Amino acid sequence: MSSLPRFEQLALKHLEAAYNLAFWLVRSRPDAEDVVQDAYLRALRAFQNFHGDDMRPWLLAIVRHTAYRWLNNRRRAGNVISIEEAYQAPATRDPAEPADHAPNAEARLIGAVEQDYVVRALAELPPAFREVVVLREIEGLSYRDIAKVTGAPIGTVMSRLARGRRDLRQALIQLLAEDEPNAL
Amino acid sequence: MHCERVRELLSPYLDEALPAQDRSVLAAHLESCPGCARFAADLRRLARTLSAVGRQGTPPSLQVRLRRTLAGAQPPPSRRSARPPPWPRPRAAGWVARRAAPIMAACALTAVATWWLLSLAEPEARLQHDVLAAHMRALLQESPTQVASADTHWIKPWFSGRVDFSPSVTDLSAEGFLLLGARLDYVGDRRVGVLVYRRRQHSIDVFVWPNPGGNHRAARVVVRKGYTLVTWTRQGLTYWAISDLDPGELNTLQRLL
Repeated sequence: MSSLPRFEQLALKHLEAAYNLAFWLVRSRPDAEDVVQDAYLRALRAFQNFHGDDMRPWLLAIVRHTAYRWLNNRRRAGNVISIEEAYQAPATRDPAEPADHAPNAEARLIGAVEQDYVVRALAELPPAFREVVVLREIEGLSYRDIAKVTGAPIGTVMSRLARGRRDLRQALIQLLAEDEPNAL
Repeated sequence: MHCERVRELLSPYLDEALPAQDRSVLAAHLESCPGCARFAADLRRLARTLSAVGRQGTPPSLQVRLRRTLAGAQPPPSRRSARPPPWPRPRAAGWVARRAAPIMAACALTAVATWWLLSLAEPEARLQHDVLAAHMRALLQESPTQVASADTHWIKPWFSGRVDFSPSVTDLSAEGFLLLGARLDYVGDRRVGVLVYRRRQHSIDVFVWPNPGGNHRAARVVVRKGYTLVTWTRQGLTYWAISDLDPGELNTLQRLL
């Protein structure tokens, strides 16, 4: 049973997607690392049950399940961490992201501010909506694959996504209005 | 089409997941309705911003840690079948030498912290231990009850003369908690009453004893060794309920009692 090399070859390709989903569910970097580690161990043990050619939805479903277990335990233990704390360091982004037209400095700044708002608003969405938005908008998964990851019917995925996007827009409008005095 | 409905469909519309006929109806609506057009533009911008935010950067150490963990987790099946430890095992003596000092420091710190916690929580921890042990012993016996009856008017008088208080015994069969009976047990250096309920296949013990000075205390939940314990104090009686039910269901029982 030398499935480990094959498992590693297939599963490590999706490490970034796994970590990203785990982070957005548990909203803490150290916890996301532990969730990914736990999830990969579970995936390895269940590897013989994986048949198919696309491992990503299967693996992400395990990551998601592990993250929710983690959240449950954390809630039971009463350590609820604040979003502020979880999101102290914004992801290091290359300021020279490829863009179709070279943005001037001001536009780039506005872009960064907007991203910051979106991240904050996304972090506060309820998990059922947050996860579909992350899987669709950041991971670019199809509705079918999101359904596989979340175990929800496609219709539910569709309506959660619609609701998630609508609420995100609403939250952004609110955040922007609150910060109006300091707006650029 | 109504604006409300349009806004619901905009999300799949932008993902190109809408059937052709809905698509054209929606496109026509967007031409003529500035409000919905604005909404659509906002959603597009949101999608652009989110994809610009991108994934959270994976810590470079994670891949190394994972490889090590996975390698440690896959022993040859012939030699060991037990579940392997989830943490990487050291490969060379040098590893031990390099890591020994911080590990020993961590151990010392843990020991001190444990001692400190234990000294704080000792009476409570001892009760938890007693309750858990009594419940386990009861599960090992052929019957968890000394008197078996679902009749509350049979159980309640049974306690009189055996303990120096009279616990309230409630029939909760309508709520899915079947009264099996009662027994006496010994917890926290005293004789206590135990009501035994069953929910589906799960056995539940409710330990009761008087707590004369005890103020009303709201329910608290602890999980130990996979068992859920709920404790509360009401009307001078302290209760400990224990079961392998999940905390939600045990809390239901607590509210009903």
